[in-house]
Amino acid sequence: MIPFDYQRAEDTRSAVATVTARPGAAFLGAGTNLVDHLKLGVAAPDLLVDVSHLPFDMIEPLAGGGVRIGATVRNSDLAVDPVIRQRYPMVSAALLSGASGQLRNVATTAGNLMQRTRCPYFQDVTTPCNKRRPGSGCSALEGYHRDHAILGASRHCVAVHPSDLAVALTALGAVVQVEGVKGARSIPIIDLYRLPDDAPQHDTVLEHGELITAVDLPALPMATRSTYRKVRDRASYAFALVSVAAAVDVERGTVRDVRVALGGVAHKPWRARRAEEALRGAPATDDAFRAAAEAELAGARPLRDNAFKVPMARNTIVATLRELTRREEP
Amino acid sequence: MSTATRETVAGRVGDSAVRPDAALKVRGEFAYSSDLFADDMLWGATLRSPHPHARIRSIDVTAALTLPGVYAALTHADVPGENRYGLDHRDQPVLAEDVVRYQGEPVAVVAADHPETARRALDRIAVDYQVLDPVVDAELAMAEGAPVLHPECPGGNVLRHVRIRRGDPEATAEVVVTGEYRVGMQDQAFLGPESGLAVPAEDGGVDLHVATQWLHVDQSQVAHALGLPPEKVRLTLAGVGGAFGAREDLSMQVHACLLALRTRRPVKMVYGREESFFGHVHRHPALLRYEHGADRHGRLVSVRAEIVLDGGAYASSTPAVVANAATLGIGPYQVPNVRMDCWGVYTNNPPCGAMRGFGAVQACFAYESQMDKLAERLGMDPVELRIRNAMREGSTMPTGQVVDSAAPVAELLRRVRDKPLPPPADPTDPRDLPGGVANTTRGDGVVRGVGYGVGIKNVAFSEGFDDYSTARVRLEVLGGEPVVSVHTAAVEVGQGLVTVQQQIARTELGIARVTVLPADTGVGSAGSSSASRQSYVTGGAVKAACERVRDTLCALAATRLGREVGLVDGKLVTADGAVAASIADVLGDEVIERTVEWRHRPTFPLDPLTGQGNAHTQYAFAAHRAVVDVDVELGLVKVVELACAQDVGRAINPQAVLGQIHGGSAQGLGLAVMEEIQVVDGTVRNPSFTDYLIPTIVDMPPMVVDVLELADPHAPYGLRGVGEPPTISSTPAIVAAIRAATGRALTRVPVRPDDIALAGSASRPVPSRPEVPCD
Ligand SMILES: Cc1cc2nc3c(=O)[nH]c(=O)nc-3n(C[C@H](O)[C@H](O)[C@H](O)COP(=O)(O)OP(=O)(O)OC[C@H]3O[C@@H](n4cnc5c(N)ncnc54)[C@H](O)[C@@H]3O)c2cc1C
Ligand code: SF4
Repeated sequence: MIPFDYQRAEDTRSAVATVTARPGAAFLGAGTNLVDHLKLGVAAPDLLVDVSHLPFDMIEPLAGGGVRIGATVRNSDLAVDPVIRQRYPMVSAALLSGASGQLRNVATTAGNLMQRTRCPYFQDVTTPCNKRRPGSGCSALEGYHRDHAILGASRHCVAVHPSDLAVALTALGAVVQVEGVKGARSIPIIDLYRLPDDAPQHDTVLEHGELITAVDLPALPMATRSTYRKVRDRASYAFALVSVAAAVDVERGTVRDVRVALGGVAHKPWRARRAEEALRGAPATDDAFRAAAEAELAGARPLRDNAFKVPMARNTIVATLRELTRREEP
Repeated sequence: MSTATRETVAGRVGDSAVRPDAALKVRGEFAYSSDLFADDMLWGATLRSPHPHARIRSIDVTAALTLPGVYAALTHADVPGENRYGLDHRDQPVLAEDVVRYQGEPVAVVAADHPETARRALDRIAVDYQVLDPVVDAELAMAEGAPVLHPECPGGNVLRHVRIRRGDPEATAEVVVTGEYRVGMQDQAFLGPESGLAVPAEDGGVDLHVATQWLHVDQSQVAHALGLPPEKVRLTLAGVGGAFGAREDLSMQVHACLLALRTRRPVKMVYGREESFFGHVHRHPALLRYEHGADRHGRLVSVRAEIVLDGGAYASSTPAVVANAATLGIGPYQVPNVRMDCWGVYTNNPPCGAMRGFGAVQACFAYESQMDKLAERLGMDPVELRIRNAMREGSTMPTGQVVDSAAPVAELLRRVRDKPLPPPADPTDPRDLPGGVANTTRGDGVVRGVGYGVGIKNVAFSEGFDDYSTARVRLEVLGGEPVVSVHTAAVEVGQGLVTVQQQIARTELGIARVTVLPADTGVGSAGSSSASRQSYVTGGAVKAACERVRDTLCALAATRLGREVGLVDGKLVTADGAVAASIADVLGDEVIERTVEWRHRPTFPLDPLTGQGNAHTQYAFAAHRAVVDVDVELGLVKVVELACAQDVGRAINPQAVLGQIHGGSAQGLGLAVMEEIQVVDGTVRNPSFTDYLIPTIVDMPPMVVDVLELADPHAPYGLRGVGEPPTISSTPAIVAAIRAATGRALTRVPVRPDDIALAGSASRPVPSRPEVPCD
């Protein structure tokens, strides 16, 4: 571990100013991801500005019917919040399927969204990795990549984003509130995350020093009928091979509206727009679900060892939609 | 006879005596080796090779030494004795010289006043590597022209080849099934990482406190490398957090001693979890090709098999693992014609060696898969087929050895088969469903499957090894009460051996107060806490030493009392049963101490050409039935129940026996569905418990266990080693159950969702055997 300074942030403005002014500075949430990276040598900030105690620990209603989740709300608190459970069950389900009780008790909303990939090469500083050291190459391309991307990857990086929460927020169309030295801005979560292209070192579009203060959920009535399913190698305490966040609005056997996002398949949580389009107006049947899933996955480009993710994603989409629509019918 | 003589002390053989470490461990108060501390101690750290194969051009530690707080930085040049160690062959350098042969091989060690300083010192050591192509495929490593990794090994990269020929190896059969199977690299995943404390002694020697499996084999290797006589290297066992084979080889032992002797300060070394994955050997990955021939009634005619075990960079215990895989590789079946070839091969993969099951695990997955395949081909029930061919007492092994004690293979199978099946899963409780709490399944697409497995394991060391244990038992009177102390070097790894020793002493001497002294090299060797052997061998030694103490006491009493007496329930009793004296009366201030070296029946080497020979001293058997629910669309498996039946000869401590069966079965479950060290081009990609998956409480189902006690007349109390058999048969039983649910061939463990769902049509595959759908 390399020595670093630690500061507990007094307020948003000074935290943003301090980190922006110092290229080697980083925000610290609960540290469940960042501290691991310090130990592994993946990250070597010279200053940590602890933002976990800033007053963003509320879950509040928004004018217009949405809900604002503060950036420092702990994952456990968010998962059990009655409003979230009732109106956005997929958010609760996504959180509860991730990490462990102890981790969720401390991990923050913003830290969860900003956690970095679990690609083994990213975490092993002795190996080339474009995300960790731009231009050094991508070891996963020909190496161990069973857990890696099937959609939207580039030859520069085939990593996937590990957050479960982010997948649910992507399905919902959440908006991330950000504070920077130039002022505040709102970024739809779908635009927050990037595909790797030729700059996989950037997971998101945030500038150095920009601080997430909240995440806004839209009023989305159909989200009361939503869920999150996660397929993984063991029944708890493991990252997703494939996951699906979905919400459906069905009337008399026909899909009126639908939201689908996939996790574990791309560098960002993958909003399945093609599947959504194929489903709108379609009958709520397995055949239609399968056709929609296949439409989405037609663009999949699996690697040598992860072709299984294509049928797995398809089957998970079908199973999730089947469950939701079956529940929809009286 | 007075009533007093009838009062037996509690905690004897057959009782579930409470373990002294149990509550401490549960409360988090047990002192493990990583908790060791000495005033003024330094912290050691190890520089490891990042490359699986490289030539070392130079090593420069100068910059490390200039860092304040660093007291030593040592390389191979600083090893005073021979820079070689190893259990079977001394082929492994304490610190690498001109070449490194696996990723993580130790190259240099440092000692500093703080662990972080030590780590920074490592960063300052400059090693100039010339990277070489790693040899990573065991089969290719055997081929002609492969780069030879150990020039001194006469067989090229083949470390050992065991051939077994029995009957007519070319025999033909009416029905033949063939299969090729693979087993991934499993880790022992013990609780407490490698750690210990070396303290330099006045006499120029060193005292090492360490978590290990066999103190004396460590002692001899450490002394050899330090160039010291063994008596100057004294080992004391520190708290061990599990072993499962991973502590048979040395890890930090020599390093800590080198640093302590150099700095004249106590030196503590503790591996982190990641480092631990590089600090010990793993279970051999295996490639297994089998051909089973049977007549049309399902009677086995022949088995032909080839097994290749990837031994990795150094020998470790590979030669013995090869012999086990070969001699046990046909399974607990009677087969007249056998051709078995098993190879252990050097590669640049992580070194592999001992792990619970020791070669029998890999073979069992293959032969049990074959038995299922054969049953299917014959249209027979898989349990019936196994029972028809089951070995029994008096059967002959492929090595020609006659199994001369209970071998209730058929009975074990019947018992697990006849257990009632568990009810269908409750679809409202996600913990009962594949995917667990991730809500992955609502019960649709879930198919139930049932599978069986039965296995065989040898107990204790084999092939003519002089396998013994030493026990020193002392009897004295303290505060008017007789007190026994038992001193052995036998290692408590968490299996309950301390309690077993107490139980034996109480049984033999009828004395309640029994103290087991800390295990150390101040008494003779106890052999290893492995091969399911300690209750048998150290148990035998303690029993024999107690008998000697008893005989001495009775002789003493006879002279004092003027008549013959025996020791019954802690009292000296005359032939007519009357209490003649108490021990305290007879003994007074005297102390009786007896030391015994105890051996099991000898074993013999295998004939190098035919593999014939009485290589093993005892065989042990367990059978499993696994019930699984599989989400066939997503490839997720929930093991719903494991039933196990095992013969233990005599349950010395019934609760500890159940603990072994539950734990062993869980380790077999791990191998069946999740545990694998991912090695890519010789490098480990998942050295953490986030990425190396072991079963959690959600994955491990309740167990139904039958314990049989069919005494082995050759063993103390008739006991049979317990620890390994349950690990062996649970893996094939679970995989068979997944096959039954999915119809997939599943020839490799661990089985992962990809293997089940890859073909992935959402339509349901046709199961090969009866299924009980869940929804
Ligand atoms: C063993 C293990 C298993 C796990 N399993 C899962 C899983 O299954 N699913 C899953 O989704 N996650 C999983 N996680 C990840 C876990 O959810 C994250 O570590 C956690 O959510 C991060 O939150 P934190 O507050 O600790 O972030 P930190 O570690 O403090 O920070 C993470 C990153 O976010 C940045 N950051 C923090 N706050 C802000 C802010 N306000 N604005 C901008 N940037 C910020 C930090 O600079 C850092 O780069 C697992 C983690 C572990 C260790
Ligand atoms: S996939 Fe991305 S994170 Fe992984 S090695 Fe390649 S560049 Fe690095």
